[in-house]
Amino acid sequence: MNPAALLKRWETLLLAVLIAIVAINVLESRYYLSVGNFINLFQLSIEKSLVALAMALVIIGGDIDLSVASVMGLAACVMAWLFQQGAPLPLAILLALGAGVLAGLNNAFWIAYVGLPSLAVTLAGLIGYRGVARILVEDRAIGGFPLWFNTLGQQALVGPLTAAIVIFLFFFVVFVIVLHGSAFGRLVYVIGSNIQAARYSGVRIGLVKTALFVGSAGVAALAGILYAARLGSVRGDTADGFELDIITTVLLGGVSIFGGKGNLVGVGLSLLVILNLRNGMGLADITGNTQNYVIGGLLILSVLIPNMSLEIRNKWRGRET
Amino acid sequence: MNWLQRQIRPEQIRELSLLALIVVAVVFFGSMIDGYYSFRTFNRISSSVAIITVVAVGQTLVVLTRNIDLSVGSIVGFTAYFVGTLIAHHKGLNPFLAVAISIALGAALGVVNGLLVAWGRVPAVVVTLGTLAIYRGVLVDLSGAKTVTTDSLPQWLVNLPTLNVLPIGALDVRALFAAALVIVIIFQFGVTYLSFARRFYAIGSNPEAAQLIGLPMKGIILLAFVISGALAGLAGFMTLARYGNITVEAGRGLELNVVAAVVVGGVNVFGGSGRVTGAMLGAIMIGTLEQSLFRLGISEFWRDALLGLLILLAVASDSVILQRLRLLWARTELKFVQPVEAGAPRS
Amino acid sequence: MKKHLMSVAAFAVLSLLPQAVSAQVATATPGKAVSMVLLPKFLGILPFDQAHQGAEEAAKELKNPTALQFLGPTPQNSVAGQIEIVTNAATQGVKAIMLSNNSGDQIVPAAKAAQAKGAKMVTWDSPIPSSDGEDVFVAQVDFGDIGKVMADMSLNIIGADGGKFAILSASPDASNQNAWIAAMKTALKDPKYAKLNLVDTVYGNDESEKSYTQAQALVDKYPDLKLIMAPTSVGIVAAAKAMQDEKLCDKVKISGLGLPSEMLAYTKNGCAPQFALWSFIDLGYLAYYTSYMLATDAMKAAEGVKFKAGRMGEYTITKDPTRAKGLRILMGPFTVYNKDNVEAAAK
Repeated sequence: MNPAALLKRWETLLLAVLIAIVAINVLESRYYLSVGNFINLFQLSIEKSLVALAMALVIIGGDIDLSVASVMGLAACVMAWLFQQGAPLPLAILLALGAGVLAGLNNAFWIAYVGLPSLAVTLAGLIGYRGVARILVEDRAIGGFPLWFNTLGQQALVGPLTAAIVIFLFFFVVFVIVLHGSAFGRLVYVIGSNIQAARYSGVRIGLVKTALFVGSAGVAALAGILYAARLGSVRGDTADGFELDIITTVLLGGVSIFGGKGNLVGVGLSLLVILNLRNGMGLADITGNTQNYVIGGLLILSVLIPNMSLEIRNKWRGRET
Repeated sequence: MNWLQRQIRPEQIRELSLLALIVVAVVFFGSMIDGYYSFRTFNRISSSVAIITVVAVGQTLVVLTRNIDLSVGSIVGFTAYFVGTLIAHHKGLNPFLAVAISIALGAALGVVNGLLVAWGRVPAVVVTLGTLAIYRGVLVDLSGAKTVTTDSLPQWLVNLPTLNVLPIGALDVRALFAAALVIVIIFQFGVTYLSFARRFYAIGSNPEAAQLIGLPMKGIILLAFVISGALAGLAGFMTLARYGNITVEAGRGLELNVVAAVVVGGVNVFGGSGRVTGAMLGAIMIGTLEQSLFRLGISEFWRDALLGLLILLAVASDSVILQRLRLLWARTELKFVQPVEAGAPRS
Repeated sequence: MKKHLMSVAAFAVLSLLPQAVSAQVATATPGKAVSMVLLPKFLGILPFDQAHQGAEEAAKELKNPTALQFLGPTPQNSVAGQIEIVTNAATQGVKAIMLSNNSGDQIVPAAKAAQAKGAKMVTWDSPIPSSDGEDVFVAQVDFGDIGKVMADMSLNIIGADGGKFAILSASPDASNQNAWIAAMKTALKDPKYAKLNLVDTVYGNDESEKSYTQAQALVDKYPDLKLIMAPTSVGIVAAAKAMQDEKLCDKVKISGLGLPSEMLAYTKNGCAPQFALWSFIDLGYLAYYTSYMLATDAMKAAEGVKFKAGRMGEYTITKDPTRAKGLRILMGPFTVYNKDNVEAAAK
C-alpha cells in the first residue's frame, strides 16, 4: 500500500504515541531502561493482555464478553479449591480450564442458540461466575501451592522471559494466524460487519460464535491460572474488575465496538502503549487514580484527534463531511 | 381480543410480560420467606430501586439513539460529593437550589459526553469509558480524601429518605421513590406524546434514514447525553440524601446496575426500541431479586451466583415470551387481511 | 597460666556482651537520606490520610532530606495496584516500603523481590498473613485484644440478658478484619458472653452503599437483632445511618471501630453508644520511625530488639502471637469512645 495510506492508519498513530511515551519515560526515570523493568512492565499486566487478544476477536465478531474477569477468578478458585481438597495440582489446573470452557459454552448457548444479546448474557455471567467462585472460596485465601507452580509463575523461564510472557507471545502468534490468515478469521470479520449477509450466505454463525466465546472463556481461564501462579495465592476477588481495562485496551487498538473492524497489530501496539504509559507513570510515582484518567483521556483523544484532523482537512479542501 | 391485538403490538406490551415475571418472582419469594408481603419489603425494594431507576431513565434515552453512557456512576459520585461538600459549608443552602445545582452539574458533565460523541464522532463507549475514569479521577484528586459526613449535613437532607410523601394507609411512599416515579412518568409521557421525542427512536433504529430526512442528529444525541447526565446528577443528590456519608468512591459500579436494568427492561442495545417504563420495571425486577435473596437467608456467598442466574433467566424468558407473542400476533393478523379481487374497486 | 586467665577473661567479657547489646535501646540518627514509600490499602479515606499525617510528622523530626512518597491504589484495583507499587518501588531502589496490606499473601512474591533489592518491608495496620516478605509488622493493637474489646462492648450494649447480634465487616478478603472477627469469636467462647448470640457475618466491602444495604438486610432477616458490630470505619457509619433512617436506634445499636469525627452525631443521639479505635496518626508515626531505623541499620528486625521511636517512647520487637510466624511491634492502646469523650476526640 502506498505510504500516504500507511500514515493515515490507526496503527501508525499508535506507533507514534508509543515512541513519544517511551521517549518521555527514558527522560523521566533512570530506572526505565532495564531488562528487569521491562519484564516487570509486562508481568504486572500479562494476564489482562492475554485476555485482550481473545476479547479482540469477540468484539471484531460483533459481540462483547463482559464475563472474562469473572471467568479468570472462577478458574483460579476452582483450581485452588480442588487443590485444597487434595487433588494433585496438574489435575486441578486441567479441571479449572474445563470450568472455563464450560462457562464459555454456557455463554455461547444463550447468545448463539437462544439469541439473547451478548451484553445481557455476559453481564449475567460477570455476576454469576464471580458468585460461583465465591461459593468455593468464601472468605478464605488459598495458597501453599507447590514450588514448581509458583516458580513457573514468578521466575524467568526462557532467558529473562517468564512462562506467562512466553505463553502470551505464543497466543499472539496463534491469534494472528487465526484472525488474519484463516477462513475462520474471515468469517469473524464478516459476521461482525454484516450479520445478515453472513446469514444469507449460509455461514454457520452459531458455530463461529460458539468458538469465539469458548475461546474467550478458555483463554480467560488460562489467564486466571497464570495470575494465581504469579501471586502465589487465590482469593474470591481474584481478577475482580479487570474487564474494563481489557476492553479499553482493545478499543484503543482500533477495534470498532460495532464489529467488523480492527486487527491484532493495533491491539498489540495498544498493549505496548498502555503498559509503557502505566510503567512510566508508576516510576514517576503517579498513583493509579491519575493513571486511570490519563488512559481515559488518551482513549478519547486517540479517536478524537484523527476525526478532527480529517474534518479540518476536508473543510480545507472544501468538501462537506 | 382481536381488536386488542389490532391496536397493540407485542413490543408495546413487553412491559406486561416483565410485570408478570416480577409478580411470579414476588409470589415465589413470598412462599419461601416469612413476612415477605409487608410494607417493609415494599419500602426496601422501592428505596433501593429509586436511584437506579432515575439514572436508567436517562440511560434509556441514550441507548435508544444507539449509544451508551458508562460514565453515569462517576457523575453520580461527582455530584453527590460536590453538592454534599457545598451543603456542608453552606448549611443554609436552599434545598431546591441544591437539587438544581446537582442537575446542572450532571448536565454539564453530560454535555462533555454529548459533544465528544456527536461532534467529535467518537463512539459512545469510548467516550464514556474515558469520562468514567476522568470524572472519577478528578473527583479523587480534588477531594483530599475527605468524607462528607452526616453531621455536617443539614437536618432536612438527612431526614429526606424517610420523608413520607403519600401515606396510603400504612403504606409509605417515600420521597425518593416518589421522585423516581415522577421522573419515569414525565419521561414516558414526554417520549410517547412529544413528536420531538420520537426522534430518539428514529436515530437509533435507522441513523442513515434519519440523516437523509434531515433530522438534527448531533443536537439530538447531545440532548440525550445531557439528559442522562442531568438525571445522573439528580441521582447523585438522591444518593447524598440516602446515604449521608459520601466517600470519593460513591457511585462506583453503578453503571453496571443501570445497564443491567435497561437490558432486562427490554431496551434494545442496538437502539431504536424500548421504553422508559421498561427500564423502570427492569430496575424493579433486579431490585426485587437482590432484596429477596438477602431475605432468603442464603449465605452471602451464594447470592451473586443466584443473581446472575436469575437475571439470565429473566432476560431469556422475556425474550421467549416476546417471540411467542409475535407468533401469536402474526397468526391473527393474517386473518384480518381480506383477499382483494383483481379489478374490484377499493373500498 | 596467663594465657588461660586471658582466655577466661576474654570469654567472660564476650559472654556479657550479648546482654549488653540487648539491653541497649536503639535510637535513630536523624538527617540520613532514606527513600521511603507509605502504601495504604487504597487512597481516599480518612484513616490512611491520618497515618500519612503521622508519618510526615516523623519525617520532619528525623530530618530525612528525601521526601516521603504517599502512594496507593484505587479501592477497586487494590490488590493489583499494591503489587504494582511495590514492584515499581523496588525498581526505583526505594529503601523502605510501609505497607497496609490489602492483598493477603498475594503480595508475597513482590514483597520478597523488593527485599531482595534491598528494601525493608514494614507492614502496619494489616500484615502479610504468612509474614513471608515482611520484616516486621507494626500492630496498632493486639489483634486478640480487639476481639475482647469488641466482645466487651457487645456485652455492655446488649446487657446481661443477652441477645442476638451480627457483624458487618469490610471485604471478605481483608486479613485484618478477618483476624479481628476470628479473635472476637474466640473471646466469645468465654462463659461471660454465653448469652450473646452471633447470628450472621455480612460484608460491606468498605462501600457506603453496600454497607447501608447490608445493615438494612440484617434487621430484616433478624427482627430481634440488638446490635450490629462493624469493625470498619466505612461500615460503622453506614450502619448507623441505616438504623437512624429506619428509626430503629432504640432497638438496634451500632458498635465497632470508627473515627470519632465521623461517628460524632450517632454517638450523641444514642445510635452508637460505644465504639473503639486507636490513633492512625500515631500508627503512621511509629511505622515511619521503625522503617527509618531499619533502613539506616540503626536496628535489626529481630526478636528482642528495643528502640526509641521519638515522642512515642520505647518499643520492643517481639514474636507475633497472633500469627504462625512473624515479628511484631505492638503500639496500643485502644480508646473506647462514648458520649463523654467523643466530642473532644472529634476535633
